[in-house]
Amino acid sequence: MSAPTREERRTCWGARDELWKCLDVNQDNAESCKKFHEEFEKQCPAQWVKYFAKRRDFLKYKEKLQTEGFEPAEGVPSS
Amino acid sequence: MLGFLRFRGHGHHMVTWCVLRSSIQASLPPLQHTHLTQTAHLCVRAAPPSGLSRLRPPAGQRDPTLLRDHLTVQRRSQHAPYSQGPTQQGPKPGTATAKFRLQTRLAVTVLFGAGILGTWWYVRKEKQDKLQRQRIEQLRKVAIGQGDFSLLDHTGQRRTKRDFLGSWSLLYFGFTHCPDICPEELDKLTSVVTILDEDASLPRVQPLFFTVDPERDDVAAMQKYVKDFHPRLIGLTGTPDEIKLAGRDYRVYASAGPKDEDGDYIVDHTILIYLVNPDGLFLDYYNRMKDDKQIAESIRNHMKNFVRLFTD
Repeated sequence: MSAPTREERRTCWGARDELWKCLDVNQDNAESCKKFHEEFEKQCPAQWVKYFAKRRDFLKYKEKLQTEGFEPAEGVPSS
Repeated sequence: MLGFLRFRGHGHHMVTWCVLRSSIQASLPPLQHTHLTQTAHLCVRAAPPSGLSRLRPPAGQRDPTLLRDHLTVQRRSQHAPYSQGPTQQGPKPGTATAKFRLQTRLAVTVLFGAGILGTWWYVRKEKQDKLQRQRIEQLRKVAIGQGDFSLLDHTGQRRTKRDFLGSWSLLYFGFTHCPDICPEELDKLTSVVTILDEDASLPRVQPLFFTVDPERDDVAAMQKYVKDFHPRLIGLTGTPDEIKLAGRDYRVYASAGPKDEDGDYIVDHTILIYLVNPDGLFLDYYNRMKDDKQIAESIRNHMKNFVRLFTD
């Protein structure tokens, strides 16, 4: 399968953004956003769906680190 | 500053001053043109005034003629400061010879010092020139060998690094199946080139897109991809070995992920834009944190400071 064109990319990103907006509103409750999730999977290649799911997890984690702080791992000497 | 010494009733200050002055001058080398000599006229007239006889100078210095002779010599020499040898009118030829010898010594020292300084400076300059020549030679070797590639562009034409010498290039390594990062970076690259194009005084920059996924990104795929970006953007692809060689000198990291049921996969890779100058030397790189304006500004500076290595 060939790579998505510019338009296809844009559609995929749009669907992704809608899904993420829904998840933000519903506190990451996947059940309430099922419709968006389906649309998202339709518009984007499977690899991208997986990729964006991981990306979202990462962005959430980063936000958590920035707002809540973190404990450095034990046994790790500072260089 | 000595004006107050002229006041009446302060005559004793004059005597003390002249005694001090003559004793200082006796200890100094002759003809030091300090302000002491300028007070000579005060001391010649300063015979102790009547009524103050108890303040006369101590016994050893009481003879005013001795004092006067010494001071007269000083004054006469003052009027002809650079006369030497036999033309000297004073009764002390030793002073004149001493002065001549001092001036000669000074002149010789200064010339000698200047000679040493000149030699040192010359030798240093020679060394710096040699280092500069060596450095240029090294840079030329690097410019030719570094990042050399032979690939197919998106029209199917073979291109090598030599084809792009003579103009500035911006290199980006990515792949067409990239979800978001490559399109964003290529959009940024397009914007940078557009900004620089607007300045007519700057040379045109050549954007280049190298694929890190040669198995999927063939010439047709590249052609479909690059038309979404800057019209001058050239896509480059080839065999996996050719691609690996092209990325090696820029330390490009690329690692294909696991294939899914569609045979699709993501390629993890370094996300950098590289700046190469018209001599083919890699000068600078820009990561995701730099926006298009910052990159354009940096390139503009590099262009301003650019000095050609090769004269052909």
